[in-house]
Amino acid sequence: MDSTTDPRSAELKPMLPALPARWLMLLFSVLVFLPDLAQAIPAFNRQTGQNCVACHAGGQFPELTPYGRLFKLTGYTIGERAVPISAMVVASLSKVANTSKSADPSAEFQKDGSGILATASLLLGGKVTDNIGAFAQVTYDPYATQSPDGRFHGHSNADNIDIRYADRFIGDKHDLIFGVSANNNPSLSDPWNTAAAWMQYVPVPSPTSSRFIDGNSPYPGYGAGGNIAGLSAYAFWNQSIYAELGAYGSSRGVSSFMSAGIPADEKTRLKGLNPYWRLAYSHDWGPHSLMVGTSGMVARVYDDPLDTSDPASLHHFRDLAVDAQYQYLLDPHAVTAQLVYTRNRHRYPDAEAGLSVPFVDAAGNALASTNASDTNHLLRAKLSYVYQARYGGSVAIFNLTGSTNTASLTAGLDPGTLTINPDPAAQAPSNQQVDGNRTGSPATRGATLEAFWTPIQYLRVGVQYTAYTRFNGASKNYDGFGRNASDNNSLFLYTWLAY
Amino acid sequence: MKSLGLMSVVVAAAMTTGCANSERSRDIGNPNISGTTLAQQVCSNCHGMTGTSVSPNFPNLAGQTEPYLIAQLSSFKSHGRSDPAGFEYMWGLSRSLTDDQMKQLAAYYARQTPGALPIEGDRAGLAAGKGIFESGVPEKSIPACASCHGADAKGNATFPRLAGQHVDYIVKQLRVFQRTDERPEGAVMKVVAHDLTPQNIRDVASFLQALPSL
Repeated sequence: MDSTTDPRSAELKPMLPALPARWLMLLFSVLVFLPDLAQAIPAFNRQTGQNCVACHAGGQFPELTPYGRLFKLTGYTIGERAVPISAMVVASLSKVANTSKSADPSAEFQKDGSGILATASLLLGGKVTDNIGAFAQVTYDPYATQSPDGRFHGHSNADNIDIRYADRFIGDKHDLIFGVSANNNPSLSDPWNTAAAWMQYVPVPSPTSSRFIDGNSPYPGYGAGGNIAGLSAYAFWNQSIYAELGAYGSSRGVSSFMSAGIPADEKTRLKGLNPYWRLAYSHDWGPHSLMVGTSGMVARVYDDPLDTSDPASLHHFRDLAVDAQYQYLLDPHAVTAQLVYTRNRHRYPDAEAGLSVPFVDAAGNALASTNASDTNHLLRAKLSYVYQARYGGSVAIFNLTGSTNTASLTAGLDPGTLTINPDPAAQAPSNQQVDGNRTGSPATRGATLEAFWTPIQYLRVGVQYTAYTRFNGASKNYDGFGRNASDNNSLFLYTWLAY
Repeated sequence: MKSLGLMSVVVAAAMTTGCANSERSRDIGNPNISGTTLAQQVCSNCHGMTGTSVSPNFPNLAGQTEPYLIAQLSSFKSHGRSDPAGFEYMWGLSRSLTDDQMKQLAAYYARQTPGALPIEGDRAGLAAGKGIFESGVPEKSIPACASCHGADAKGNATFPRLAGQHVDYIVKQLRVFQRTDERPEGAVMKVVAHDLTPQNIRDVASFLQALPSL
């Protein structure tokens, strides 16, 4: 999108005068505390005594360097036991290009243009024994829920948890690292940052003004989602071939801590054990590091987490990913190129397939019934550069395509009047514009530009702009009521502190 | 879910069996772990399994002189050596090394055979680099590198081996000597490197890296 010719870009201007005061205050408060921050160090840093850039490419946490990958795969055990607690705080501001084409702007764009404390995380990480280490994150979301009077309420829950056992047989000619990871999110155990659990790295704030920022645009993922419990076994041979095989089930009983804090009606309930696999080839030469890999998962997810009695209520997911990552790391330069393609197949419970919809085509003919299954394809690529682990920028593109399904329609032509009408059966009419879909297609395409500054290794300040050329199947009028893809273009500013 | 519970038990059992194996230990704070084990389990992550590193961010250590290696490890541990390549990685890793472990590590790397690596630098500069290495730059009173580092640049006591070292590493270290006081143990190099031009540095680094292949 060319924002210079887009009349909507003018709507971004009024926010600019409002920004400096807020952000200057935030920056000021951060700078005031700099001397203390420089003394404080994240848990892994304390454990190894090393600088963040040793493990994180150009300091872009969480993206790992080849050494960082080995640190993770050997179970976070390099170094000496230290106080295993760190904390992370993200403050942010989101601004959507157009908030007027909405049934209820105050609900659909909460905190638009307002600086907020977005999330805070407590991280427990480090060496337990020579062979056992852990990385566990508990995240507090100040905007987790909203009461009818409009007040937000905070909530904490288990976020990423990875507890692993690892060992290494190494000699002059061979090197075998193997281990087992107990974790709550498929691919969380992966050491490359094209893995679904790791590619999206800036935490996404809950208020709906962040609904279109890059972190909420299409990303690789598994149908099984997070907050589940799994065990995977992995091996890395001669720092070349990586293989991992895992099985995931519902987080409950002894593994219920994996989904602690997640409300029962939001927990993912899986039927039995569901396989996850990963195969990757890695090659390092000089300052270059390349990985080409593939991964996948087959999962059966109950439609209603509170009712797992009916096997016919299962959603069946078959997810396949092919990914590649290239890094060039030679001080002061850090370049990373990432490419991921995923194919997600989703078969619906019988009760959701073959249903008629209350809309017709332009000739007045009934539309097709809802699909028994959908297949989506997602391509995402990102190129980033960091200079001196301090100044960085990136450009990313995403292109989601997939089968058209009349179940996705939120609006269509009324059989009587042949005029566009919202779905009369919809229970949340406020979503019919902003999240609306008049085509039945998931096609969403766009790009994100980011620039960031890391003045010290515990602080990052970033600005992101995400532009859409297609959203929910259309460039123009994707909801049937005049909202265009580019109306969703979003500006996102963030400050990220970890200590 | 019974199967997941069973898997947990199996894993817990496996976890408790491998903890006390010093051959594969990564407990670098433990003075009883041998230098060889440390070299393989920890140092190899960056410096390669036999001291020949893949990335030029990390120096090759194979065939390096023992006195130089011991001096560097001591200097990292005492925070005497504070160039970025040193403190970012090595301060932490060296903080609990005992004198014996340093000696064992130095002996381990000194006895490794340097790997045959492709020539990294610009071949056009090899001749100029050879001239600087063998004869110095007389008009600037820069002495020949060979006079201390040996005719084959294989090092001599605390003068390190330079033959086969990564171009980027040599270039950066010469700049550290030239422009900073971050390596006080190599203060003699500040005088030597003072008048080297960026091209001189590039040429001599290219020659040194290529030397074993010439």
